[in-house]
Amino acid sequence: MTPRLMGLPIQLATRPFQQASPLAFLLPQFQPTRQAHILASLSDNPSAYNKRIRRGRGPASGKGKTSGRGQNGQKQHGKVPAHFNGGQTPDEVVHGERGGKNPFSVEMAPINLNRIQEWIDQGRISAAHPITVRELTQSRCIHQHKDGVKLLGGNDSGSETESTLKQPIHLVVSRASASAIAAVEATGGSVTTRYYTRRAIELIMKREIHPFLSRAWSAQAAPEPLLHAAADNAVDPDQQQQLADSVLPPPGFRYRLPDPTRRRDIEYYRDPAHRGYLSHLLKPTEGPSLFFRSPEDRKMTAGSRKEKVLPANRLW
Amino acid sequence: MPGSEILRSLRLLSRSSGGLLSGPERVTRCLTRSMATEAQINTTTASSPVPGTAWAPTPALVMTYDFPSMEPVRMVEYPEKHLLMPIRKDLLHRAVIYEADISRHGTASTKWRDDVNGSHRKLYPKRALAVPVLSPVRRGGGVAHGPHPRDFSTDLPAKVYDQAWRIALSHRFQRGELIVIDNEISLPSESTPFLVKNILETNGWNSRKGRSTFITEDVDLELLVKMEKFSKHAKLMGRTDLDVKKLLETGRLIIEKKALDRILKAHSRDLNNRPARALY
Repeated sequence: MTPRLMGLPIQLATRPFQQASPLAFLLPQFQPTRQAHILASLSDNPSAYNKRIRRGRGPASGKGKTSGRGQNGQKQHGKVPAHFNGGQTPDEVVHGERGGKNPFSVEMAPINLNRIQEWIDQGRISAAHPITVRELTQSRCIHQHKDGVKLLGGNDSGSETESTLKQPIHLVVSRASASAIAAVEATGGSVTTRYYTRRAIELIMKREIHPFLSRAWSAQAAPEPLLHAAADNAVDPDQQQQLADSVLPPPGFRYRLPDPTRRRDIEYYRDPAHRGYLSHLLKPTEGPSLFFRSPEDRKMTAGSRKEKVLPANRLW
Repeated sequence: MPGSEILRSLRLLSRSSGGLLSGPERVTRCLTRSMATEAQINTTTASSPVPGTAWAPTPALVMTYDFPSMEPVRMVEYPEKHLLMPIRKDLLHRAVIYEADISRHGTASTKWRDDVNGSHRKLYPKRALAVPVLSPVRRGGGVAHGPHPRDFSTDLPAKVYDQAWRIALSHRFQRGELIVIDNEISLPSESTPFLVKNILETNGWNSRKGRSTFITEDVDLELLVKMEKFSKHAKLMGRTDLDVKKLLETGRLIIEKKALDRILKAHSRDLNNRPARALY
Protein backbone atom coordinates (compact mmCIF):
# COMPACT_ATOMS: atom_id res chain seq x y z
CA MET A 1 0.00 0.00 0.00
CA THR A 2 2.67 2.48 0.97
CA PRO A 3 5.45 2.70 -1.57
CA ARG A 4 8.92 2.55 -0.17
CA LEU A 5 10.66 3.40 -3.37
CA MET A 6 9.47 5.59 -6.14
CA GLY A 7 8.17 3.88 -9.21
CA LEU A 8 10.09 5.15 -12.16
CA PRO A 9 9.32 4.94 -15.81
CA ILE A 10 10.37 1.80 -17.58
CA GLN A 11 13.77 3.00 -18.77
CA LEU A 12 14.96 3.32 -15.23
CA ALA A 13 13.06 0.61 -13.47
CA THR A 14 15.85 -1.89 -13.97
CA ARG A 15 18.52 0.23 -12.31
CA PRO A 16 19.15 -0.39 -8.64
CA PHE A 17 18.27 2.41 -6.29
CA GLN A 18 20.64 1.67 -3.46
CA GLN A 19 23.97 1.09 -4.98
CA ALA A 20 26.83 0.39 -2.62
CA SER A 21 29.54 2.97 -2.95
CA PRO A 22 32.96 3.04 -1.35
CA LEU A 23 32.34 6.59 -0.17
CA ALA A 24 28.86 6.03 1.15
CA PHE A 25 29.91 5.81 4.78
CA LEU A 26 31.23 9.39 4.67
CA LEU A 27 27.85 10.85 3.90
CA PRO A 28 25.29 11.50 6.60
CA GLN A 29 22.22 9.33 6.37
CA PHE A 30 19.33 11.54 5.32
CA GLN A 31 16.77 8.89 4.60
CA PRO A 32 15.44 6.59 7.28
CA THR A 33 15.29 2.97 6.28
CA ARG A 34 11.51 2.78 6.41
CA GLN A 35 9.23 5.61 5.40
CA ALA A 36 5.64 5.80 6.50
CA HIS A 37 3.15 7.22 4.04
CA ILE A 38 2.90 10.97 4.21
CA LEU A 39 -0.84 10.93 4.87
CA ALA A 40 -0.13 9.04 8.09
CA SER A 41 2.27 11.67 9.38
CA LEU A 42 0.40 14.88 8.63
CA SER A 43 -0.28 17.17 11.55
CA ASP A 44 -0.58 20.86 12.18
CA ASN A 45 2.10 22.81 14.00
CA PRO A 46 2.26 21.91 17.70
CA SER A 47 1.35 25.48 18.62
CA ALA A 48 -1.92 25.15 16.71
CA TYR A 49 -3.25 22.74 19.27
CA ASN A 50 -4.43 23.74 22.74
CA LYS A 51 -4.13 21.40 25.64
CA ARG A 52 -7.40 20.91 27.49
CA ILE A 53 -7.47 22.44 30.97
CA ARG A 54 -8.27 19.68 33.43
CA ARG A 55 -9.81 21.29 36.50
CA GLY A 56 -9.52 19.87 39.97
CA ARG A 57 -6.79 17.37 39.11
CA GLY A 58 -4.16 18.25 41.69
CA PRO A 59 -1.96 21.26 42.51
CA ALA A 60 0.52 20.68 39.68
CA SER A 61 -2.14 21.34 37.10
CA GLY A 62 -2.50 24.96 38.25
CA LYS A 63 -6.27 24.51 38.40
CA GLY A 64 -6.30 22.12 41.29
CA LYS A 65 -7.61 23.19 44.69
CA THR A 66 -10.42 25.59 43.87
CA SER A 67 -10.52 24.81 40.14
CA GLY A 68 -10.22 28.50 39.28
CA ARG A 69 -13.45 29.36 41.09
CA GLY A 70 -12.00 31.29 44.03
CA GLN A 71 -13.13 30.90 47.61
CA ASN A 72 -16.62 30.42 49.05
CA GLY A 73 -19.70 31.91 47.49
CA GLN A 74 -22.57 31.23 45.16
CA LYS A 75 -20.34 31.34 42.13
CA GLN A 76 -18.22 28.53 43.51
CA HIS A 77 -21.10 26.20 44.20
CA GLY A 78 -23.51 26.73 41.40
CA LYS A 79 -24.57 29.36 38.98
CA VAL A 80 -25.68 32.94 39.30
CA PRO A 81 -28.22 34.34 36.85
CA ALA A 82 -26.69 36.38 34.09
CA HIS A 83 -26.76 40.16 34.74
CA PHE A 84 -27.57 39.47 38.43
CA ASN A 85 -26.25 42.45 40.30
CA GLY A 86 -26.56 41.37 43.92
CA GLY A 87 -30.25 42.17 44.12
CA GLN A 88 -30.15 45.83 43.15
CA THR A 89 -32.03 47.09 40.10
CA PRO A 90 -30.52 45.35 37.07
CA ASP A 91 -28.44 47.33 34.61
CA GLU A 92 -30.85 46.75 31.76
CA VAL A 93 -33.61 48.40 33.78
CA VAL A 94 -31.54 51.38 34.95
CA HIS A 95 -29.85 51.95 31.59
CA GLY A 96 -32.29 50.44 29.15
CA GLU A 97 -31.81 50.21 25.41
CA ARG A 98 -32.27 53.38 23.51
CA GLY A 99 -32.47 54.22 19.87
CA GLY A 100 -33.11 51.79 17.08
CA LYS A 101 -32.18 50.82 13.59
CA ASN A 102 -33.60 52.59 10.59
CA PRO A 103 -34.48 49.89 8.08
CA PHE A 104 -35.01 52.48 5.34
CA SER A 105 -31.57 54.05 5.50
CA VAL A 106 -29.18 53.41 2.66
CA GLU A 107 -25.47 52.97 3.12
CA MET A 108 -23.23 54.42 0.44
CA ALA A 109 -19.63 53.55 -0.28
CA PRO A 110 -17.80 56.88 -0.25
CA ILE A 111 -15.12 57.48 -2.86
CA ASN A 112 -12.89 60.52 -3.14
CA LEU A 113 -11.76 61.98 -6.44
CA ASN A 114 -8.07 61.81 -5.57
CA ARG A 115 -8.37 58.07 -5.07
CA ILE A 116 -9.91 57.65 -8.51
CA GLN A 117 -7.09 59.73 -9.98
CA GLU A 118 -4.57 57.49 -8.19
CA TRP A 119 -6.19 54.43 -9.72
CA ILE A 120 -6.11 56.00 -13.18
CA ASP A 121 -2.43 56.84 -12.73
CA GLN A 122 -1.71 53.24 -11.85
CA GLY A 123 -3.56 52.06 -14.94
CA ARG A 124 -6.14 50.18 -12.89
CA ILE A 125 -9.05 52.21 -14.25
CA SER A 126 -9.28 53.57 -17.77
CA ALA A 127 -10.32 57.22 -18.10
CA ALA A 128 -11.43 56.56 -21.68
CA HIS A 129 -14.42 54.49 -20.55
CA PRO A 130 -17.26 55.45 -18.22
CA ILE A 131 -16.34 54.84 -14.60
CA THR A 132 -19.22 53.04 -12.90
CA VAL A 133 -19.65 51.00 -9.76
CA ARG A 134 -18.51 47.96 -11.74
CA GLU A 135 -15.11 49.40 -12.60
CA LEU A 136 -14.64 50.84 -9.11
CA THR A 137 -15.37 47.52 -7.42
CA GLN A 138 -13.45 45.38 -9.88
CA SER A 139 -10.32 47.45 -9.44
CA ARG A 140 -10.82 47.45 -5.65
CA CYS A 141 -11.05 51.24 -5.65
CA ILE A 142 -13.99 50.62 -3.32
CA HIS A 143 -14.05 47.44 -1.30
CA GLN A 144 -17.75 47.03 -0.56
CA HIS A 145 -20.27 48.54 -2.91
CA LYS A 146 -23.02 48.47 -0.23
CA ASP A 147 -26.18 50.20 -1.53
CA GLY A 148 -24.31 52.38 -3.97
CA VAL A 149 -21.42 54.77 -4.48
CA LYS A 150 -21.28 58.36 -3.36
CA LEU A 151 -18.70 60.52 -5.09
CA LEU A 152 -16.98 63.05 -2.84
CA GLY A 153 -14.68 65.90 -3.74
CA GLY A 154 -12.27 65.50 -0.87
CA ASN A 155 -10.19 68.67 -0.78
CA ASP A 156 -10.83 69.29 -4.45
CA SER A 157 -13.29 72.15 -4.82
CA GLY A 158 -12.92 72.48 -8.57
CA SER A 159 -10.55 75.44 -8.62
CA GLU A 160 -7.64 75.10 -11.00
CA THR A 161 -4.93 75.52 -8.40
CA GLU A 162 -6.07 72.65 -6.20
CA SER A 163 -7.42 70.31 -8.86
CA THR A 164 -6.45 66.68 -8.37
CA LEU A 165 -7.94 65.47 -11.63
CA LYS A 166 -5.54 65.46 -14.56
CA GLN A 167 -7.95 64.44 -17.31
CA PRO A 168 -11.66 64.49 -18.02
CA ILE A 169 -13.50 61.48 -16.65
CA HIS A 170 -17.08 60.36 -17.06
CA LEU A 171 -18.68 58.91 -13.97
CA VAL A 172 -21.97 57.17 -13.30
CA VAL A 173 -22.55 56.94 -9.55
CA SER A 174 -25.43 56.79 -7.09
CA ARG A 175 -24.86 60.19 -5.54
CA ALA A 176 -22.35 62.97 -5.88
CA SER A 177 -21.42 65.94 -3.72
CA ALA A 178 -21.55 69.47 -5.14
CA SER A 179 -17.78 69.88 -4.81
CA ALA A 180 -17.14 66.62 -6.67
CA ILE A 181 -19.45 67.64 -9.51
CA ALA A 182 -17.71 71.00 -9.74
CA ALA A 183 -14.25 69.42 -9.77
CA VAL A 184 -15.09 66.85 -12.43
CA GLU A 185 -16.80 69.37 -14.68
CA ALA A 186 -13.94 71.83 -14.28
CA THR A 187 -11.72 69.37 -16.15
CA GLY A 188 -14.32 68.80 -18.87
CA GLY A 189 -15.65 65.52 -17.53
CA SER A 190 -19.17 64.60 -16.47
CA VAL A 191 -20.99 63.14 -13.49
CA THR A 192 -24.30 61.36 -13.87
CA THR A 193 -26.13 60.04 -10.85
CA ARG A 194 -28.51 57.14 -11.25
CA TYR A 195 -30.50 54.79 -9.07
CA TYR A 196 -28.93 51.52 -7.86
CA THR A 197 -29.95 48.87 -5.39
CA ARG A 198 -27.68 46.51 -3.52
CA ARG A 199 -29.02 43.49 -5.38
CA ALA A 200 -28.69 45.23 -8.73
CA ILE A 201 -25.03 45.99 -8.07
CA GLU A 202 -24.41 42.36 -7.15
CA LEU A 203 -25.82 41.36 -10.53
CA ILE A 204 -23.85 44.10 -12.28
CA MET A 205 -20.71 42.55 -10.82
CA LYS A 206 -21.77 39.22 -12.29
CA ARG A 207 -22.30 40.93 -15.64
CA GLU A 208 -25.97 40.02 -15.63
CA ILE A 209 -27.12 43.66 -15.59
CA HIS A 210 -25.80 46.57 -17.60
CA PRO A 211 -23.98 49.05 -15.33
CA PHE A 212 -26.23 52.00 -16.19
CA LEU A 213 -28.74 51.34 -18.98
CA SER A 214 -32.32 50.93 -17.79
CA ARG A 215 -35.83 51.62 -19.02
CA ALA A 216 -35.87 55.15 -17.69
CA TRP A 217 -32.43 55.84 -19.15
CA SER A 218 -32.56 57.64 -22.45
CA ALA A 219 -30.12 59.28 -24.79
CA GLN A 220 -30.63 62.61 -22.99
CA ALA A 221 -30.02 61.04 -19.57
CA ALA A 222 -26.29 61.59 -19.72
CA PRO A 223 -24.02 64.06 -21.48
CA GLU A 224 -22.76 63.24 -24.96
CA PRO A 225 -19.16 62.32 -24.02
CA LEU A 226 -20.29 59.60 -21.64
CA LEU A 227 -22.30 57.94 -24.35
CA HIS A 228 -19.38 58.13 -26.75
CA ALA A 229 -17.08 56.62 -24.14
CA ALA A 230 -19.59 53.87 -23.55
CA ALA A 231 -19.91 53.24 -27.27
CA ASP A 232 -16.56 51.45 -27.19
CA ASN A 233 -18.03 49.23 -24.55
CA ALA A 234 -20.65 47.64 -26.79
CA VAL A 235 -23.37 50.24 -26.20
CA ASP A 236 -24.39 52.24 -29.24
CA PRO A 237 -25.77 55.67 -28.30
CA ASP A 238 -28.20 55.51 -31.21
CA GLN A 239 -29.75 52.36 -29.85
CA GLN A 240 -30.23 53.74 -26.36
CA GLN A 241 -33.76 54.98 -26.88
CA GLN A 242 -34.64 51.74 -28.56
CA LEU A 243 -33.25 49.81 -25.60
CA ALA A 244 -35.12 51.98 -23.16
CA ASP A 245 -38.40 51.37 -24.97
CA SER A 246 -37.85 47.64 -25.00
CA VAL A 247 -39.05 45.42 -22.16
CA LEU A 248 -36.06 43.14 -22.72
CA PRO A 249 -32.72 43.74 -21.08
CA PRO A 250 -29.88 45.11 -23.26
CA PRO A 251 -28.31 42.44 -25.48
CA GLY A 252 -25.80 40.30 -23.61
CA PHE A 253 -27.41 40.90 -20.22
CA ARG A 254 -29.89 38.85 -18.31
CA TYR A 255 -31.87 41.39 -16.34
CA ARG A 256 -32.87 45.03 -16.52
CA LEU A 257 -31.50 47.59 -14.10
CA PRO A 258 -34.31 48.86 -11.83
CA ASP A 259 -35.46 52.48 -11.73
CA PRO A 260 -36.64 54.29 -8.60
CA THR A 261 -40.22 54.03 -7.44
CA ARG A 262 -40.04 55.90 -4.15
CA ARG A 263 -40.83 59.57 -4.27
CA ARG A 264 -37.65 60.56 -2.43
CA ASP A 265 -35.44 58.64 -4.86
CA ILE A 266 -37.25 59.93 -7.94
CA GLU A 267 -36.90 63.48 -6.70
CA TYR A 268 -33.16 63.06 -6.09
CA TYR A 269 -32.52 61.85 -9.64
CA ARG A 270 -34.85 64.48 -11.14
CA ASP A 271 -32.69 67.21 -9.67
CA PRO A 272 -30.31 68.87 -12.19
CA ALA A 273 -28.14 70.00 -9.26
CA HIS A 274 -27.41 66.33 -8.56
CA ARG A 275 -26.85 65.66 -12.27
CA GLY A 276 -29.60 63.06 -11.98
CA TYR A 277 -30.34 60.85 -14.95
CA LEU A 278 -34.03 61.82 -14.80
CA SER A 279 -33.39 65.56 -14.77
CA HIS A 280 -33.97 65.88 -18.51
CA LEU A 281 -37.63 65.07 -17.88
CA LEU A 282 -38.21 68.40 -16.13
CA LYS A 283 -40.01 71.17 -18.00
CA PRO A 284 -38.18 74.50 -18.13
CA THR A 285 -39.82 75.93 -15.04
CA GLU A 286 -40.49 72.69 -13.22
CA GLY A 287 -38.67 71.78 -10.02
CA PRO A 288 -37.49 68.29 -9.03
CA SER A 289 -40.22 67.91 -6.40
CA LEU A 290 -43.21 65.81 -7.32
CA PHE A 291 -45.40 67.63 -4.81
CA PHE A 292 -44.38 71.25 -4.48
CA ARG A 293 -44.31 73.59 -7.42
CA SER A 294 -41.08 75.38 -8.06
CA PRO A 295 -40.88 79.14 -7.27
CA GLU A 296 -40.46 79.91 -10.97
CA ASP A 297 -43.53 77.95 -11.81
CA ARG A 298 -45.56 79.76 -9.18
CA LYS A 299 -44.24 83.10 -10.35
CA MET A 300 -45.27 82.33 -13.91
CA THR A 301 -48.79 81.35 -13.03
CA ALA A 302 -48.97 84.34 -10.71
CA GLY A 303 -47.95 86.54 -13.63
CA SER A 304 -50.77 85.31 -15.73
CA ARG A 305 -53.39 86.36 -13.18
CA LYS A 306 -55.68 89.15 -14.40
CA GLU A 307 -54.99 92.50 -12.88
CA LYS A 308 -57.93 94.26 -11.42
CA VAL A 309 -59.23 97.05 -13.61
CA LEU A 310 -60.72 99.69 -11.38
CA PRO A 311 -63.25 102.25 -12.48
CA ALA A 312 -62.03 105.81 -12.44
CA ASN A 313 -63.86 106.69 -9.26
CA ARG A 314 -62.43 103.78 -7.21
CA LEU A 315 -59.27 103.83 -5.17
CA TRP A 316 -59.25 100.09 -4.26
CA MET B 1 32.71 25.43 7.40
CA PRO B 2 35.39 23.23 5.89
CA GLY B 3 33.52 20.06 6.88
CA SER B 4 30.44 20.95 4.94
CA GLU B 5 32.52 21.89 1.92
CA ILE B 6 34.09 18.47 1.96
CA LEU B 7 30.65 16.94 2.12
CA ARG B 8 29.44 19.08 -0.76
CA SER B 9 32.39 18.16 -2.94
CA LEU B 10 31.81 14.53 -2.08
CA ARG B 11 28.22 14.88 -3.14
CA LEU B 12 29.22 16.49 -6.39
CA LEU B 13 31.68 13.69 -6.94
CA SER B 14 29.01 11.13 -6.31
CA ARG B 15 26.65 12.89 -8.70
CA SER B 16 29.17 12.89 -11.48
CA SER B 17 29.76 9.21 -11.01
CA GLY B 18 26.15 8.29 -11.43
CA GLY B 19 24.63 10.11 -8.52
CA LEU B 20 23.92 7.06 -6.45
CA LEU B 21 25.62 7.99 -3.20
CA SER B 22 22.83 9.82 -1.45
CA GLY B 23 19.27 8.84 -0.69
CA PRO B 24 16.59 7.84 -3.17
CA GLU B 25 15.24 11.37 -3.45
CA ARG B 26 18.52 12.63 -4.78
CA VAL B 27 18.88 9.58 -6.98
CA THR B 28 15.72 10.39 -8.87
CA ARG B 29 16.72 13.97 -9.40
CA CYS B 30 20.09 12.96 -10.77
CA LEU B 31 18.50 10.37 -12.99
CA THR B 32 16.13 12.95 -14.39
CA ARG B 33 19.12 15.10 -15.14
CA SER B 34 20.79 12.26 -16.98
CA MET B 35 17.68 11.84 -19.07
CA ALA B 36 17.88 15.51 -19.87
CA THR B 37 21.21 14.96 -21.48
CA GLU B 38 19.76 12.08 -23.46
CA ALA B 39 17.11 14.37 -24.87
CA GLN B 40 19.86 16.90 -25.66
CA ILE B 41 18.16 20.06 -24.56
CA ASN B 42 20.12 23.07 -23.41
CA THR B 43 18.77 23.94 -20.02
CA THR B 44 21.13 26.64 -18.79
CA THR B 45 23.43 29.00 -20.58
CA ALA B 46 26.59 30.57 -19.26
CA SER B 47 25.34 34.14 -19.55
CA SER B 48 22.26 33.69 -17.37
CA PRO B 49 22.52 34.52 -13.64
CA VAL B 50 23.60 31.81 -11.27
CA PRO B 51 20.64 29.49 -10.84
CA GLY B 52 19.52 28.55 -7.38
CA THR B 53 19.56 32.06 -5.98
CA ALA B 54 16.55 33.97 -4.77
CA TRP B 55 16.50 36.20 -7.86
CA ALA B 56 17.08 33.35 -10.29
CA PRO B 57 15.51 30.28 -8.72
CA THR B 58 16.19 26.94 -10.30
CA PRO B 59 13.16 25.83 -12.27
CA ALA B 60 11.88 22.30 -11.95
CA LEU B 61 12.90 20.19 -14.94
CA VAL B 62 10.22 17.67 -15.73
CA MET B 63 10.54 14.94 -18.32
CA THR B 64 7.35 14.19 -20.19
CA TYR B 65 6.58 10.77 -21.59
CA ASP B 66 4.54 9.32 -24.37
CA PHE B 67 1.63 7.08 -23.38
CA PRO B 68 1.52 4.09 -23.54
CA SER B 69 5.03 3.54 -24.95
CA MET B 70 6.51 5.57 -22.05
CA GLU B 71 9.30 6.93 -24.18
CA PRO B 72 10.68 10.28 -23.04
CA VAL B 73 9.46 13.15 -25.20
CA ARG B 74 10.88 16.41 -23.92
CA MET B 75 11.99 18.34 -20.88
CA VAL B 76 9.61 20.96 -19.54
CA GLU B 77 10.52 23.70 -17.10
CA TYR B 78 8.14 24.56 -14.30
CA PRO B 79 8.64 27.45 -11.88
CA GLU B 80 10.08 26.43 -8.56
CA LYS B 81 6.96 27.82 -6.86
CA HIS B 82 4.98 25.17 -8.70
CA LEU B 83 6.88 21.93 -8.34
CA LEU B 84 9.76 22.63 -5.98
CA MET B 85 7.83 23.91 -2.99
CA PRO B 86 9.36 22.83 0.32
CA ILE B 87 7.18 20.36 2.17
CA ARG B 88 4.83 21.87 4.74
CA LYS B 89 3.04 19.08 6.54
CA ASP B 90 0.97 21.54 8.54
CA LEU B 91 -0.53 23.10 5.42
CA LEU B 92 -1.17 19.67 3.89
CA HIS B 93 -2.87 18.67 7.12
CA ARG B 94 -5.09 21.73 7.13
CA ALA B 95 -6.05 21.17 3.49
CA VAL B 96 -6.86 17.50 4.02
CA ILE B 97 -8.94 18.28 7.11
CA TYR B 98 -10.70 21.09 5.25
CA GLU B 99 -11.66 18.72 2.44
CA ALA B 100 -12.76 16.04 4.87
CA ASP B 101 -14.97 18.53 6.70
CA ILE B 102 -16.60 19.61 3.46
CA SER B 103 -17.28 16.04 2.44
CA ARG B 104 -19.19 15.26 5.63
CA HIS B 105 -22.88 14.99 4.86
CA GLY B 106 -24.05 16.01 8.32
CA THR B 107 -27.45 14.42 7.72
CA ALA B 108 -27.66 12.32 10.88
CA SER B 109 -31.01 13.05 12.45
CA THR B 110 -33.12 11.92 15.39
CA LYS B 111 -36.47 12.95 16.78
CA TRP B 112 -36.80 14.79 20.05
CA ARG B 113 -39.91 14.00 22.12
CA ASP B 114 -41.84 16.84 20.51
CA ASP B 115 -41.10 15.55 17.01
CA VAL B 116 -42.30 11.99 17.62
CA ASN B 117 -45.87 11.32 16.59
CA GLY B 118 -48.12 10.30 19.47
CA SER B 119 -50.05 11.39 22.51
CA HIS B 120 -48.59 13.49 25.27
CA ARG B 121 -50.93 11.86 27.79
CA LYS B 122 -49.58 10.53 31.08
CA LEU B 123 -49.47 6.73 31.02
CA TYR B 124 -50.92 6.21 34.50
CA PRO B 125 -52.51 8.74 36.79
CA LYS B 126 -50.90 9.57 40.18
CA ARG B 127 -47.87 7.34 39.99
CA ALA B 128 -44.14 7.79 39.95
CA LEU B 129 -42.55 7.44 36.48
CA ALA B 130 -45.92 7.97 34.89
CA VAL B 131 -44.23 9.91 32.12
CA PRO B 132 -45.86 10.10 28.69
CA VAL B 133 -45.08 7.55 25.98
CA LEU B 134 -42.95 10.04 24.07
CA SER B 135 -40.54 10.73 26.92
CA PRO B 136 -36.93 9.76 26.21
CA VAL B 137 -37.04 7.23 29.07
CA ARG B 138 -39.66 5.13 27.26
CA ARG B 139 -39.16 2.75 24.40
CA GLY B 140 -40.51 4.37 21.26
CA GLY B 141 -40.09 7.78 22.80
CA GLY B 142 -37.94 10.61 21.54
CA VAL B 143 -34.15 10.70 21.65
CA ALA B 144 -32.53 13.06 24.10
CA HIS B 145 -29.35 14.80 22.88
CA GLY B 146 -29.40 12.92 19.58
CA PRO B 147 -27.75 14.14 16.37
CA HIS B 148 -29.46 16.69 14.18
CA PRO B 149 -28.51 17.74 10.65
CA ARG B 150 -25.77 20.32 10.57
CA ASP B 151 -23.01 21.68 8.40
CA PHE B 152 -19.55 20.45 9.32
CA SER B 153 -17.66 22.48 6.75
CA THR B 154 -14.80 24.66 7.95
CA ASP B 155 -12.95 27.53 6.33
CA LEU B 156 -9.46 27.68 4.91
CA PRO B 157 -7.89 30.73 3.27
CA ALA B 158 -7.79 30.23 -0.49
CA LYS B 159 -4.12 31.10 -0.65
CA VAL B 160 -3.29 28.45 1.93
CA TYR B 161 -5.35 25.86 0.06
CA ASP B 162 -3.64 26.68 -3.22
CA GLN B 163 -0.24 26.33 -1.59
CA ALA B 164 -1.27 22.92 -0.26
CA TRP B 165 -2.09 21.74 -3.80
CA ARG B 166 1.33 22.76 -5.07
CA ILE B 167 3.09 21.36 -2.02
CA ALA B 168 1.39 18.01 -2.60
CA LEU B 169 2.44 18.01 -6.26
CA SER B 170 5.96 19.13 -5.32
CA HIS B 171 6.23 16.33 -2.78
CA ARG B 172 5.27 13.83 -5.45
CA PHE B 173 7.65 15.33 -7.96
CA GLN B 174 10.61 15.43 -5.61
CA ARG B 175 10.11 11.78 -4.74
CA GLY B 176 9.92 10.87 -8.41
CA GLU B 177 6.27 9.89 -8.10
CA LEU B 178 4.93 12.37 -10.61
CA ILE B 179 4.97 11.00 -14.13
CA VAL B 180 3.88 13.55 -16.68
CA ILE B 181 2.36 12.32 -19.92
CA ASP B 182 2.87 14.56 -22.91
CA ASN B 183 -0.10 13.32 -24.91
CA GLU B 184 -3.44 12.05 -23.68
CA ILE B 185 -3.84 9.00 -21.48
CA SER B 186 -5.95 6.90 -23.80
CA LEU B 187 -5.95 3.52 -25.47
CA PRO B 188 -7.33 2.44 -28.82
CA SER B 189 -11.00 1.58 -28.43
CA GLU B 190 -10.47 -1.96 -29.74
CA SER B 191 -7.90 -2.75 -27.05
CA THR B 192 -8.86 -5.23 -24.35
CA PRO B 193 -8.59 -4.63 -20.59
CA PHE B 194 -5.53 -6.89 -20.58
CA LEU B 195 -3.58 -4.17 -22.33
CA VAL B 196 -4.19 -2.04 -19.26
CA LYS B 197 -2.97 -4.87 -17.10
CA ASN B 198 0.16 -5.28 -19.20
CA ILE B 199 0.91 -1.57 -19.08
CA LEU B 200 0.60 -1.59 -15.31
CA GLU B 201 2.84 -4.62 -14.96
CA THR B 202 5.51 -3.55 -17.42
CA ASN B 203 5.94 -0.15 -15.83
CA GLY B 204 5.79 -1.44 -12.29
CA TRP B 205 2.65 0.55 -11.55
CA ASN B 206 0.60 -2.18 -9.93
CA SER B 207 -0.21 -2.73 -6.29
CA ARG B 208 3.09 -4.46 -5.62
CA LYS B 209 4.74 -1.04 -5.65
CA GLY B 210 1.81 0.97 -4.44
CA ARG B 211 -1.22 1.70 -6.56
CA SER B 212 -1.25 4.32 -9.27
CA THR B 213 -3.55 7.25 -9.97
CA PHE B 214 -4.10 8.20 -13.58
CA ILE B 215 -5.25 11.79 -13.95
CA THR B 216 -6.75 12.95 -17.21
CA GLU B 217 -8.16 16.25 -18.35
CA ASP B 218 -11.27 14.64 -19.82
CA VAL B 219 -12.43 11.28 -18.54
CA ASP B 220 -12.49 8.63 -21.26
CA LEU B 221 -15.39 6.40 -20.23
CA GLU B 222 -14.11 3.37 -22.14
CA LEU B 223 -10.75 3.59 -20.43
CA LEU B 224 -12.47 4.13 -17.12
CA VAL B 225 -14.39 0.87 -17.50
CA LYS B 226 -11.21 -0.98 -18.42
CA MET B 227 -9.32 0.53 -15.49
CA GLU B 228 -12.04 -0.39 -13.05
CA LYS B 229 -11.37 -4.05 -13.69
CA PHE B 230 -7.93 -3.47 -12.16
CA SER B 231 -9.01 -1.12 -9.40
CA LYS B 232 -6.74 -3.02 -7.05
CA HIS B 233 -3.78 -1.66 -8.99
CA ALA B 234 -4.80 1.66 -10.42
CA LYS B 235 -7.55 4.21 -10.60
CA LEU B 236 -8.45 6.77 -13.22
CA MET B 237 -9.91 10.14 -12.39
CA GLY B 238 -10.58 13.41 -14.10
CA ARG B 239 -8.86 16.59 -13.04
CA THR B 240 -12.06 17.99 -11.56
CA ASP B 241 -12.46 14.99 -9.23
CA LEU B 242 -9.10 15.60 -7.58
CA ASP B 243 -8.31 17.05 -4.22
CA VAL B 244 -5.19 17.34 -2.08
CA LYS B 245 -5.79 14.06 -0.30
CA LYS B 246 -6.21 12.16 -3.55
CA LEU B 247 -2.94 13.66 -4.80
CA LEU B 248 -1.16 12.10 -1.83
CA GLU B 249 -2.96 8.79 -1.73
CA THR B 250 -1.47 6.17 -4.03
CA GLY B 251 2.08 5.21 -4.92
CA ARG B 252 2.42 7.53 -7.92
CA LEU B 253 0.54 9.97 -10.07
CA ILE B 254 0.48 9.54 -13.82
CA ILE B 255 -0.88 12.81 -15.06
CA GLU B 256 -1.49 14.42 -18.42
CA LYS B 257 0.58 17.56 -18.90
CA LYS B 258 -2.56 19.45 -19.85
CA ALA B 259 -4.22 18.49 -16.58
CA LEU B 260 -1.12 19.38 -14.56
CA ASP B 261 -0.94 22.79 -16.19
CA ARG B 262 -4.60 23.45 -15.48
CA ILE B 263 -4.20 22.44 -11.84
CA LEU B 264 -1.17 24.66 -11.38
CA LYS B 265 -2.89 27.56 -13.07
CA ALA B 266 -6.04 27.20 -10.98
CA HIS B 267 -4.11 26.91 -7.73
CA SER B 268 -1.74 29.87 -7.98
CA ARG B 269 -3.90 32.51 -6.36
CA ASP B 270 -1.20 33.25 -3.80
CA LEU B 271 1.36 33.85 -6.55
CA ASN B 272 -0.57 36.37 -8.60
CA ASN B 273 0.16 39.54 -6.70
CA ARG B 274 -0.85 41.97 -9.43
CA PRO B 275 -3.23 44.64 -8.20
CA ALA B 276 -6.84 44.27 -9.24
CA ARG B 277 -7.90 46.27 -12.26
CA ALA B 278 -11.12 46.97 -14.08
CA LEU B 279 -11.99 44.67 -16.95
CA TYR B 280 -13.12 46.17 -20.21
